[in-house]
Amino acid sequence: MANNVSEVANTTTSTASGESIKLLSVRGITKSFGTNAVLKQIDLDLDGGEVLALIGGNGAGKSTLMKIIMGIYQPDDGKIYVNGCLTHLNKASVALSAGIYMVPQEPMLFPNMTIEENITMGFQEHKQQLRMRLKSVMQEIGWKFDLNRKASTLSIAEQTLVEIIRGLLRNAKILILDEPTSALTFDEVESFFRIVKELRQKGIGIIYITHRLSEVFDIATHVSIMRDGIITLHGPVSDFNHEMLVQGLLPPGSVQKNKLFEQTTSIDYENTQPVFELQNVSGHGFNNISLKVFPGEILGVAGVVGAGRTELVSTIFGRDKILHGRVLLNGKDITGYSTKKVLQAGINYVPEDRHNHGLFKISSITANTTSALLEDRRLGKLFLKPKVEQAITQEFVDGFRIKIAGQDQLAGSLSGGNQQKVVIGRSLSTKPKIVILDEPTRGIDAAARRDVYGIIRGLREQGVAILIISSDMEEIIELADRAVTVSQGSINAEFWKKDITQDNLTASSFGLHVKGEAHAQ
Amino acid sequence: MMGGNDKLNSRFVEGLKKFTKKWEFVLLLILLAEFVIFGAANFEKFMRIGSIFSSINNYISICIISLFVTFVMITGGIDIQASSIVGLTSIVIGVLWSDAGLNIWVAVLLAIVTAALCGALSGFFVSYCGVQPMVVTLGGSFLYSGLALLISGLSKTPAYQGISGFPAKNDLGQFVSFRALGKMLVFDLIPVQIIIYVVLIVLCYLLLHKSRYGRRVYLVGVNRQAAEYSGINSRWIIMSTYILTGIGAAIAGVLLTANVDSAKYNLGSTFTLSIITAVVLGGTLSTGGKGSILGTALAAIVICILRYGLPLCFGISNQNLDLPIGIMLVIVVAVRAVLALNRKPLFRKLDRESLPRN
Amino acid sequence: MKLIKRFLKIRWLSSLAFLAVMFIITGLVNPGFFTYSNIIECFNSSVVFTLLAVGVAFVIMTGEIDVSIGSTMGLAAAIAGMLAQRGQSWGLMIVYSIVIGLLIGLVNGYGVAVLGVPSLIFTLGTTGIIRGLVYVFSGGKTTENFAGTFTNFGSQTLFGQITIYYTIVLVIVIVTHLLLTQTRSGKYFIAVGDNVGGATLIGIPVTATKIVAYVLCGIFAAISGVAFASKYGQVNIVAGAGYEMSAIAACVLGGISLSGGQGNLAGAAIGAVIMSTISRLLVFIGLSSDFDNTIKGVMLISIVVIDALMQRRSAETARRERLVARASGSAR
Repeated sequence: MANNVSEVANTTTSTASGESIKLLSVRGITKSFGTNAVLKQIDLDLDGGEVLALIGGNGAGKSTLMKIIMGIYQPDDGKIYVNGCLTHLNKASVALSAGIYMVPQEPMLFPNMTIEENITMGFQEHKQQLRMRLKSVMQEIGWKFDLNRKASTLSIAEQTLVEIIRGLLRNAKILILDEPTSALTFDEVESFFRIVKELRQKGIGIIYITHRLSEVFDIATHVSIMRDGIITLHGPVSDFNHEMLVQGLLPPGSVQKNKLFEQTTSIDYENTQPVFELQNVSGHGFNNISLKVFPGEILGVAGVVGAGRTELVSTIFGRDKILHGRVLLNGKDITGYSTKKVLQAGINYVPEDRHNHGLFKISSITANTTSALLEDRRLGKLFLKPKVEQAITQEFVDGFRIKIAGQDQLAGSLSGGNQQKVVIGRSLSTKPKIVILDEPTRGIDAAARRDVYGIIRGLREQGVAILIISSDMEEIIELADRAVTVSQGSINAEFWKKDITQDNLTASSFGLHVKGEAHAQ
Repeated sequence: MMGGNDKLNSRFVEGLKKFTKKWEFVLLLILLAEFVIFGAANFEKFMRIGSIFSSINNYISICIISLFVTFVMITGGIDIQASSIVGLTSIVIGVLWSDAGLNIWVAVLLAIVTAALCGALSGFFVSYCGVQPMVVTLGGSFLYSGLALLISGLSKTPAYQGISGFPAKNDLGQFVSFRALGKMLVFDLIPVQIIIYVVLIVLCYLLLHKSRYGRRVYLVGVNRQAAEYSGINSRWIIMSTYILTGIGAAIAGVLLTANVDSAKYNLGSTFTLSIITAVVLGGTLSTGGKGSILGTALAAIVICILRYGLPLCFGISNQNLDLPIGIMLVIVVAVRAVLALNRKPLFRKLDRESLPRN
Repeated sequence: MKLIKRFLKIRWLSSLAFLAVMFIITGLVNPGFFTYSNIIECFNSSVVFTLLAVGVAFVIMTGEIDVSIGSTMGLAAAIAGMLAQRGQSWGLMIVYSIVIGLLIGLVNGYGVAVLGVPSLIFTLGTTGIIRGLVYVFSGGKTTENFAGTFTNFGSQTLFGQITIYYTIVLVIVIVTHLLLTQTRSGKYFIAVGDNVGGATLIGIPVTATKIVAYVLCGIFAAISGVAFASKYGQVNIVAGAGYEMSAIAACVLGGISLSGGQGNLAGAAIGAVIMSTISRLLVFIGLSSDFDNTIKGVMLISIVVIDALMQRRSAETARRERLVARASGSAR
């Protein structure tokens, strides 16, 4: 599946030929930042009514490509054709008038303005006229919004929808959706897919960036895979299956590891005490959670985005108040402990949001790794001992195979996978009795993912208890010894190894009753 | 044996090489350039150690306070109230000593405590109430200078006059006790303030670059949330940096009062811009996460030497000095910004609020 | 209670209410204050501050800051004074001041918006440069001896004891306020401050908007310098030092958020009146002017702390409500 689209492209630009003119054609786009070549001769086609799923790991260049199409970056080389016409997208306003609109991954609304002001910002038309058009668009889509609400009061899902309305009001013909479902709950995702189908029927072409392979088959008509700045696979979705897509994401020559993994140790549930136990814990976003994690066990916590899992663990980690219940670590009551005390007690946490909560981007790798260890005696009595810090960091660098130029390298310049490894390293530096990993492989490439799985399994061997929160069911199926699902803030099912299947997890994540042990909902 | 020596040597060379890439090295070059240029222009007058020291001494307050403001700016904050605290410290010493009759050193101690409390108050609003540092310290600068004026009203000495007559000389005519802090010359050459400044540089260096506290300050400045998730109490760390500047301003106030033998409420009122200039010139990013004591100190000295050399060697009057210093600041930050533009957005503020990261 | 809360949410109205409360308290302590001319005088005397505050409000709304306005004012005032000494016309003075403001604004705008230098730092540098220029132009001496029609002009009253100057300022404020809130491009300033990434995404020319903000700020500051010279009759070389802080404080008191995206020019104008009349009001109350700064400081700190705490509380409550709703399934 090489880049043979370029041949097709040469004929589409001439109206004389029999080929149809594509809505959007991108040819030979190249872009480098300094010496870092981010995009290398990218070709892309999009037609009206198509949904092109664009997949790729971190650093593959998707975001850069979209910003170029949106006129925010300028390519070093290459051309973009909209409806067959060569267009110089040197400013966002040019892209907007060409009918291109991007809905960013995190909605970029104006928090202090009302919804109406947000949508109508930047328009030339008369206010009344605009408002009428807006109302008719909303009626078509079937959404009801109080237009006078301030944008800051909306949920992420609602904000995403407002962004889409903005695009529609601009009569966008090319819509770029960057991971639009990453913050949506299940119902919202369903309704979102319906909207996408309607947009397709209107002849709008959609570029749909996602990390979720399942969505490709749910919603897309075509798929392109980017890796390291080039397109490795491209074509109609019907031409592919799951394995082929995953193959396209991996670096050449890598072999898909066998999914089944032999359990070398089994946990004696009868005779061991749980390391970590929650007894009827309630807080903001979750209710009456009870669970246990045993040493040397991987407990998977499944559920859809917004189910309350991250709220649960971050509250336990000291970021919010526990309203009710008890948290026990090796029998000791640690309910309501501050983050510092929780760390000292023996819990550590790899945050869901690596960028905002996990990484010190302009700090060295050493500083990143030891940031939770600053209380530790090993680091020196009065002053910090750089040698000790470096030794500890090096252990993780070697053990996790983190690709760095040197420990002084700034963490923000690492690839996503390596960044995640650094954060995991920090979480293990305190030698916790239980490690909580929240979406540990989100946004990292397949090779790094395999490494992370290896790290997790290694921890298991050592008898550390592990709690993994993941929206990736396959991940839970692969790793967990036991799994629970959280739905709407409560645990509604628990599964033992043989029962951890896609069907079971999916069903209970979405709130349906399943066979197997189930907690009362 | 030989191998060991070689290793030491190569590590030293490595360290040296790394240093040359740093901003502190550029500052050092600028300092040397100043010496070369001014020395060439008027060697005799310029190269007098005593005059050089006294030139640094004139602006010692700015030098000292900028060391501590570095801490604040690394956490991403800013402190524009320090200069008001200088005056407050001064008048508190004066009133406590002359009107309340307290021992001079007790008065000094109480003044420092007062300053620390002022810093703590503003720091509290910044870290625990979430108010922007610029506004809080703006209000603080009004408040503390206002309080200084009010306190001077408590004294029988009129405010515009300033309290003087501090304990000064002993029988031998040497400066001892309080005024020694202002006037004594160590080895008959180095003003004692400079010694104190050097000691402070060392202490601040150890505090910021070598201690756990300093590491926490950096981490909080780089990513406050991530610091919290690492178990660091970011609110206390941020508040403490403002307490530090309060104390720094107090030390400057003490030295200044001792020097001019006058405790006045408006001492130090014009320092703010110079302090920030020194810190920024020293390589500290106003967005936080980056900065160094060495850089700040070098930048402060560069400015002092500039203020000394320009009038001396090129006849530029004292009041015109704002112009070249302003130009220097603008050029330095403009060049830094342009260089940053070419790199992938890691440092730029836009990145924090920008479009999808990938 | 809810009505009051809604009222307070419109920030400039709360500032107006605050001003009214200040007047009332002064009048209660000293009934002699409650004369029309006293109250009008409060507004008349705020000409310089109003211009400064409104000008810097443009920049603050876009999320930046400008601390060079004090020195810009000083420069323009010195030059206006010098022109007055030579008996030059009003028109020429206005032209000069606009040019000065324009140039300074362009430099500031370029450094901040194009080069990307943090605005506090860059305008700090330009402050020094402009101060230096003041010394160069004025030869280090106070500019004086230009009394006459120039200085008398502004204090002549039009109607209702409102001086010509304040009338002009009022007109300017009203016009610019309407332009900012009602026109499409006027809204760009607030949009850029509210969410700069979002503004870029919908095609708002962010760089140009910021540069325009700085240019307007510079022009307003320069014109305030002309008013300053006319009002005081003499301009010393440190004229304007510290005024930038008061102007910024005025904006904050008027409901403009320093992080940008909130507030409007009416608020800035009201805040300017508050800042400039405190000393006057204190005199009526019987407190010496020694209390000026202390009271300004307390006011400023109290207002921003209360504002921050309220915003935090409502954001926290909103967040918790959302989470609880999700958990109990009543969301959507």
